[in-house]
Amino acid sequence: MEKKLVGLIDKALSRRSFLAASGATAAATVIAGCGGSSSTPTPTPTTTPAPTAYTDVDYLNFALNLEYLEAEFYLRAATGSGLSSADAGGNSTVVIAPPTTQVPNLTTTQANYIYEIAQNELDHVRFLRSALGSEAVSRPVIDLLNSFNTAASAAGIGSSFNPFASYEAFLVGAFVFEDVGVTAYHGAAGLLTSKAYLAAAASILAVEAYHAGEVRTLLIADSVATATVTSSMVTPNNTYVGYANKISALRAMLGGGNETALTPLPPYSLPFDPTAYTPASSIVAADSTNSIAYARTTDQVLHIVYAAAPGAGVFQGGFFPNGLNGNIKVTNS
Amino acid sequence: MATSETQQLDEVIVSSRRKMLALGGAALAGLAFAGVKLADAQATPAYSDSDILNFALNLEYLESQFYTLATAGKTIDQVGIGIGAGTAATGGGSVVTKSGGPSACLVPWTIPAIQAYATETAQEERNHVSFLRGALGASAVAQPNLDLYNSFNTLANAAGIANSFDPFANDETFLIGAYIFEDVGVTAYSGAAPLITTPAYLSAAAGILAVEAYHAGLVRTSIFGLDPTGSLGLQGYTQKISATRMALDGSTTVDDIGVGFQTVSTEPTGTTLGASTIVDAQTGSPNYSKTYSRTTTQVLQIVTGNPNVVASGTKYSGVFFPNGLNGLFS
Repeated sequence: MEKKLVGLIDKALSRRSFLAASGATAAATVIAGCGGSSSTPTPTPTTTPAPTAYTDVDYLNFALNLEYLEAEFYLRAATGSGLSSADAGGNSTVVIAPPTTQVPNLTTTQANYIYEIAQNELDHVRFLRSALGSEAVSRPVIDLLNSFNTAASAAGIGSSFNPFASYEAFLVGAFVFEDVGVTAYHGAAGLLTSKAYLAAAASILAVEAYHAGEVRTLLIADSVATATVTSSMVTPNNTYVGYANKISALRAMLGGGNETALTPLPPYSLPFDPTAYTPASSIVAADSTNSIAYARTTDQVLHIVYAAAPGAGVFQGGFFPNGLNGNIKVTNS
Repeated sequence: MATSETQQLDEVIVSSRRKMLALGGAALAGLAFAGVKLADAQATPAYSDSDILNFALNLEYLESQFYTLATAGKTIDQVGIGIGAGTAATGGGSVVTKSGGPSACLVPWTIPAIQAYATETAQEERNHVSFLRGALGASAVAQPNLDLYNSFNTLANAAGIANSFDPFANDETFLIGAYIFEDVGVTAYSGAAPLITTPAYLSAAAGILAVEAYHAGLVRTSIFGLDPTGSLGLQGYTQKISATRMALDGSTTVDDIGVGFQTVSTEPTGTTLGASTIVDAQTGSPNYSKTYSRTTTQVLQIVTGNPNVVASGTKYSGVFFPNGLNGLFS
């Protein structure tokens, strides 16, 4: 009986691998060579590992790696300091970041937003470490310097990009992470066997989506705040909305599509007449038919955070120059 | 999917479910892709996935009507969305609006971005109605009678905001109206998701949960952006609404916080900072920035404004649902 079961499950799993692979193939040629300017050597693909049966602990540790990354980014933007040794599982690993990371010249309101998100992500690290107990992986090596430069170059933003340079640059940096967090938790939620973990994952998924909605709203709000205004017309300044969309396009190439670009707010006449205006926005990242947010496989998420083109055997790069810690760290396709 | 394979799997699962669980998450994921209903292998609960989806459909009818009235001055059936039982376009309940009817509900927008956000959200909520009706097919419940006029007055009164409240009056009141719905949607889907047994439906529910949270983030950020110090009173309204929701759902612990301020303790240890409360979740121990979830009963208590537990077999009714919801969870 057990043999029969395993056979059936293998059949189902091979179908899953096929599905995961097919979505990514188209993007493979486009992104080839994008890692060329990275300071991290492009890993040599090894033989395709067989699909592994992961446990809830594996998925939660996968999520913990992503939370370490987000927490390091937001904490540094907020205070200039990252995770303490106690929250990182020891202090033996390094975080590569620009010399100054506290975002300068913030208004009180802008600071309010950043401090809240920093606390949320720190909380998620603490929650997952607590839930995992002795099985929690420690923080891997994280790169917040070369990673952004490489991404900016690959996305066509410029040869370098410092997300800590200004409030607007910070929003683009935050944009890099938040929608990915949503898709990663969404993809993982269906794989968890424990209902308690599923409930927790759903609650963290929701917070990532609050953040994503917030960041996308703030990018549009900033385009209005910095708009070109004449006596008869307001034209939003879409410089940073444009950067975010280049990041979105890059993520789509690396992570199997699953992206909704930000729609710039259309220019409007003064005095404003709502009946003569065709409003447009896309704060929500979701499929356009059913408005259901996207889910990504762990493989698709790995390709994004490793900044690596689709393909099996990738185990490091991008934000994680030495790879993730835990069992889910090598791409299967 | 071959029926014989499905039956085979069901048979195997029933007899060696423990062994399958021991194989871990990937085994279950494989089954998800094989389209197998795990529910078939489990003890039959008192409700089905359809009941849960129909509960969600009731809430989506409500939300989509609110946003469509605000942005188009029309009800969803006037823009081609079915509201009848099953696949019937017509035959659903009515919607009570302010005097002047649907067209009077069109908000006289003065902020282009808010008009854009509202228009986007209206489309997404209509898509949710269509998706759920499509997934439920013949099992879809009709739209129940809805009230988007007296409901807001009653809630505003209960919350201590004013004797009457028109969410269609302007950009700001619209945002407060939207605020009433979105966080509740998040907690409702969060509570319902673990009850769903079919993996495909679970994934869809998680995806809709995320969209409701995007909306909530959008609405709360917009309110904070318009009233960043609280001096306009918008923050205060949200705090009163959150307190009212908490009173209605009978929770003994905090499960709702309005838009405003909080002090956070980040790294390095001992650093305290003044932060916003865009996310509807308490920071720090013991909640650790996780959103709350509500049971179907708690959601019913909020949307019908009824904090008391009704007698078995009696529907929760009132406020937004004057005759109660349609379906098992009512």
